[in-house]
Amino acid sequence: MEFKDYYTILGVAKTADDAQIKKAYRKLARKYHPDVSKEKDAEVRMKEINEAREVLSDVEKRAAYDSLGSGHQAGQNFNPPPGWDAGYEFSGSSGSNSHRGPEDFSDFFSSIFGNSSRAGGGRRSAGPQPMQGEDHHAKVLIGLADAYIGSARMITLRAAKLDEAGRVVNEERTLNVKIPKGVAAGQHIRLAGQGSAGYGGGQAGDLFLEIQFTPDPRYHVDGRDVTQTVSITPWEAMLGAAIEVPTPSGDVQVKVPPNSQTGRKLRLKARGIPGETPGDLYLQLKVVLPPADTDKARELYETMARELAFNPRDVTAQSSTHAK
Amino acid sequence: MTPFNPITGVLIDDAALTIDELAQACSVERLWIQQHVEDGFLECTVALAMHDADRWPDWRFASRQLIRARKLVAFERDFDANPEIAALLVDLLEEIAELKRRLG
Repeated sequence: MEFKDYYTILGVAKTADDAQIKKAYRKLARKYHPDVSKEKDAEVRMKEINEAREVLSDVEKRAAYDSLGSGHQAGQNFNPPPGWDAGYEFSGSSGSNSHRGPEDFSDFFSSIFGNSSRAGGGRRSAGPQPMQGEDHHAKVLIGLADAYIGSARMITLRAAKLDEAGRVVNEERTLNVKIPKGVAAGQHIRLAGQGSAGYGGGQAGDLFLEIQFTPDPRYHVDGRDVTQTVSITPWEAMLGAAIEVPTPSGDVQVKVPPNSQTGRKLRLKARGIPGETPGDLYLQLKVVLPPADTDKARELYETMARELAFNPRDVTAQSSTHAK
Repeated sequence: MTPFNPITGVLIDDAALTIDELAQACSVERLWIQQHVEDGFLECTVALAMHDADRWPDWRFASRQLIRARKLVAFERDFDANPEIAALLVDLLEEIAELKRRLG
């Protein structure tokens, strides 16, 4: 495992006092908080920054880390020497830094400060009292069509766990998860018992998968309602037509009413995302004009210009045509 | 469990979370959820009259509240933010997300 230089991560000197560490942390937290940051690696950086603060703002942990740290470089291969932590007692509480789950810490941190800190500040078990394992969270991207028919997804999760010798090892596991028909973006699927193992014979935690749709420029999704743009020709728009439209639930025959303009919405009831109250599918019409790139096309447009007294900028003429 | 037998989960919203399940999913105490509901930073899916603190066994939480609660926990923890500021931030983020969604 790699040695982590917490001082470099926060950009402070080894002699930095509490106030300097807090200031450096706040500046970086504002830049890298994954909920507000535009940086690509925000989540990874925030985890490092939090971890660095967790250690450096805690007198006991900082002393222990400093005793280990001399002679190590960031990124260097690192294994804590056996019995190194004799004489250090980690209370596991460091003021504001509670509410952390095991996924919030690196293997490096866990190997030094152990399982007690991984259970989150203040939640350290004093004895063999059974305690439920932590819940895990992950996001899953699915296509809109998957929400219509349901699908299965292979999900690979990486989590640190302790082996028989008490060492931290990375374990990868792959789950084949059924995505039920009718999921909406932002909904969760809960998989019971797929989180962290329990402590002292406690129950395992759960795994929560948050569903998000892969962005698709063809569709606009609002809850269970779906809007899709449909391109039509000027003659289909004006004369009316029966057209075939590919939709997330398959091809559909749709009647375009005569005198339709761009922007007109046709509602197909219950053809949105399925559910107890299924959503609707809206087809938004977009008239696409054929280019005047041949003599024939040019001639047709010239005929229209001559024969149709049409000025779209003349509001009064437009409304009088509608009134007829 | 072999990876080739698909496992089926429970869709939250069809079955909403209890207060203890929400607390466990956010690594917080039940009291934290209770206070945030009473202060109006989290909503439960039951009638408003049941928002009384002593009705917590009846409280149920939908998917959106799980996302909200996890963000609130992160802001309060990472910025030492008080709950009002964290909630304001989450409200603004939700509004930005909604506007972005409308822009398509």
